[in-house]
Amino acid sequence: MTTGPLARRSLIGTLAVTLVFLAVAVPVAALLWRTVAPGGTPEGDAFARMLGSARTWRLIGVTVAQAAASCVVTVAVGTPLAWFLARRTFPGAGLLRTVVIVPFVLPTVVVGAAFASLLGAQGVIDLRGTWWPILAAHLCFNLAVVMRTVGARVAVLDAHLEGAARTLGAGPVGYLRRVALPLITPAVLAAGVIVFLFCLTSFGVIVLLGGGSVSTVEVEIWIRATRQFDLPGAGVLALVQVGAVIATLTVHARLTRHAARDGGASRRAAPRRLRGVGDRAAAFAVVATVGLVTLAPLAALVVQSLRVGDGLGLAHWRNLGTVTAGTSLAVAPLDALFVSLVNAAVAMAVAVGLGLPAAVLAARRPGGLADRALLLPLGVSATTIGLGLLLAVGRPPVDLRRAWWLVPAAQALVALPLVVRVLVPAIRSAPLRLEESAALLGAGPVARWWRIGLPVHRRAIVAGSGLAFVACLGEFGATVFLARSNRPTAPVAIEQLLSRPGAAGYGQAMAMACLLALLCAAVIVVVDRAAGAEGAAPGF
Amino acid sequence: MITAPALARRAAAFVAFVVLATACGDDNGNGDAESPEQDTTADVVRLVTYDSFALSDDAAAEFEARTGATIEVIASGDAGTTLTRALLAAGAPEGDVIFGIDDTLAGRALAEDLLEPVSPAGLDRVPADLRIEGEGADLLVPIDTGDVCMNVDAEWFADSGLEVPVTLDDLTEPDYRDLTVVQSPVTSSPGLAFLIGTIDRYGDDGWQDYWSSLDDNGVLVRPSWDDAYYGDYTVSGGDRPIVLSYASSPPAEVVFSEGTRTEPASVVMTDSCTRQIEYAGVLRGTDRPELAAELVEFMLDDAWQSELPLTNFVFPVVDVPLPEEFELWAERPDSPMGLDSELVDERRDDWVESWRELME
Repeated sequence: MTTGPLARRSLIGTLAVTLVFLAVAVPVAALLWRTVAPGGTPEGDAFARMLGSARTWRLIGVTVAQAAASCVVTVAVGTPLAWFLARRTFPGAGLLRTVVIVPFVLPTVVVGAAFASLLGAQGVIDLRGTWWPILAAHLCFNLAVVMRTVGARVAVLDAHLEGAARTLGAGPVGYLRRVALPLITPAVLAAGVIVFLFCLTSFGVIVLLGGGSVSTVEVEIWIRATRQFDLPGAGVLALVQVGAVIATLTVHARLTRHAARDGGASRRAAPRRLRGVGDRAAAFAVVATVGLVTLAPLAALVVQSLRVGDGLGLAHWRNLGTVTAGTSLAVAPLDALFVSLVNAAVAMAVAVGLGLPAAVLAARRPGGLADRALLLPLGVSATTIGLGLLLAVGRPPVDLRRAWWLVPAAQALVALPLVVRVLVPAIRSAPLRLEESAALLGAGPVARWWRIGLPVHRRAIVAGSGLAFVACLGEFGATVFLARSNRPTAPVAIEQLLSRPGAAGYGQAMAMACLLALLCAAVIVVVDRAAGAEGAAPGF
Repeated sequence: MITAPALARRAAAFVAFVVLATACGDDNGNGDAESPEQDTTADVVRLVTYDSFALSDDAAAEFEARTGATIEVIASGDAGTTLTRALLAAGAPEGDVIFGIDDTLAGRALAEDLLEPVSPAGLDRVPADLRIEGEGADLLVPIDTGDVCMNVDAEWFADSGLEVPVTLDDLTEPDYRDLTVVQSPVTSSPGLAFLIGTIDRYGDDGWQDYWSSLDDNGVLVRPSWDDAYYGDYTVSGGDRPIVLSYASSPPAEVVFSEGTRTEPASVVMTDSCTRQIEYAGVLRGTDRPELAAELVEFMLDDAWQSELPLTNFVFPVVDVPLPEEFELWAERPDSPMGLDSELVDERRDDWVESWRELME
């Protein structure tokens, strides 16, 4: 299949995959070098020091525990929600489904700021310094993963099964327990593992809500590198993190391989309208849950952005264009937003430009070398990429730390797995024959790609681009290391505004978070229109 | 309605436009293609420092009158954070001059090739015990000194009927449970100074016990001075009447009250003080080293030094008259705590590590 006219595209794809591989390998290597040879000559001190410390192991334990807890809570809340919304329909159900998905595309600092406004000093209850706001934020953020993965599985459950089970004498509970649950369990587990992974490497949410008193491995990497100037210590933790992420991804790969074997339904069960008191009560519970988990924090964010002194007003919104004294932010918040937009546009172009040929190559051989190399950026956490890149480029002969494109480059790398996850399934499901016929009829590679490849994959490309744009707009973990103080991005600006006490910075941060949330939501709505609902989130 | 292909075309055009615009902007801004942030206009000098630094308008105007250059302050967190940020950018700095490296962190700055040599006129006016000796003497210039001390809200204690605590040991008494807030030595320079002070006081094998007792007695640790002083101290509206701050903070209460206060609410616990010296230096890799050196030199000038007490509430290092508020309410403890800087340099990272093990 790779011979003949398709060979050249394969070359471009190989180049793209190699570039992605290098872009991950070089920063990790730079960090590893700084870890084993802080003074220029190799030594193993950092490993002995970090891995010999009880505190490190406590931190690893806490990190895994909070990820597991977040995962259990999200699955416990999300599975019934997904089940109900896939089987029942009522006025507003579609809107409800969209509302649940929205936090997933919001920047982590926005979700963090939202919960800080709900459960912080000026919120409904002050839970600062505890894990509760973080668990709640993780639930809000990841509900979409469970909803999509489990919801998709529930939707294709064969409608005949329920009838057959009933005929054989099973009640509704029996059907659920003996038939439906075993069928959706693989999807539930797969979603759970992804949620676990996201919470394992969660950064923005914990930085904003941890208040310095609760920490995880990912946050500790940041503290050691940027506060303590303990780069070897940060390096050891980054390697621990890489190991943990790869282990989680391996578990996920095993689970989804089994899940993929289950065939689709011969007759899909269409969602039916609410019937009876039980249905209505369940619908009420679903609406209340979504309201509490998703809408309340976002509403609190809006309220806090409008709170001026003892009354309400637009002062914080109006001040977004000016530099505010008494905050750590050296530029006007709107300037930071502009920087973010430029960065995200550039990063999106890079991520899609690299991701598309790479995905074409990866789609050809599932589980092949290219497919696996493209998972690499997923295996390395954002802070590791940021710190590693900073160390890699900050040395002779070329010092690139001042280059403006360093931030979009890192963001592109973080967004790339998302793009590939969206593109690969689409490309795999498209027939190759059309292109081969065109090639036989004499169409050159450019014409083929332009006339056939692009139109066929349009939806996936638009979806991947939109997702990449939003991911880059909100990227925080890598950017926080690389953004220079005169060019902060919007999420960095929010963190800086919140990092000092004082009403001025707080109100501006909340207004800024609202604005960023609106922007992301707008992008996703446009993408949703252009690509169809299936395209808007990556399949896991 | 916009169709999807039209949308995609528009998006592509937008991306192309943005890429072009940024590329062009880069060329127009300056000749150095990789550093649009390097504003080569010679009339700005950028001062990298910590959040709570306050630039005196008068001093800045005087500097502009003399050199034609304005001072731009780049603040990035507490002193420890500022230094680390500068270290990660060493050689490609975000500013031209760094101010606020204190004696507990000086060794870290000197070990990492962060600074250019500088020899300001006026350094000989600074007492020898405030200057760095030997290696690094030409890299870090002492600018001010202060004492990190517990501040106690005397009004709060008068209202509550409790005795004002006077010694470090008092802070571990049950009467003063949940009343103290300090800063983390990981991020904060007063926090680190206080940790070193307690190591001096209680010794290498006693300080951990002291901190454990503080912890048992409900001490609150905040990442930065701003957080603790403005967020938790009762004088600023918080709920802790004992805060780690400076011996010169009480005058600040009066000055910042804009007339509503004729004398400070706080008293300084002189038993808890650790001396701190703050330095400035020229960042290696700056593209305007002359102007940077001029600013460092100007920081030793009377015009800068005499402004220090009432803008940053620290003591000048040269002999200038002190304002009345300082004479009245700022404490100058006779025998502050503190350790030899070489010892601090050697052990600092271990101490901070042990402190984190103990307290976090």
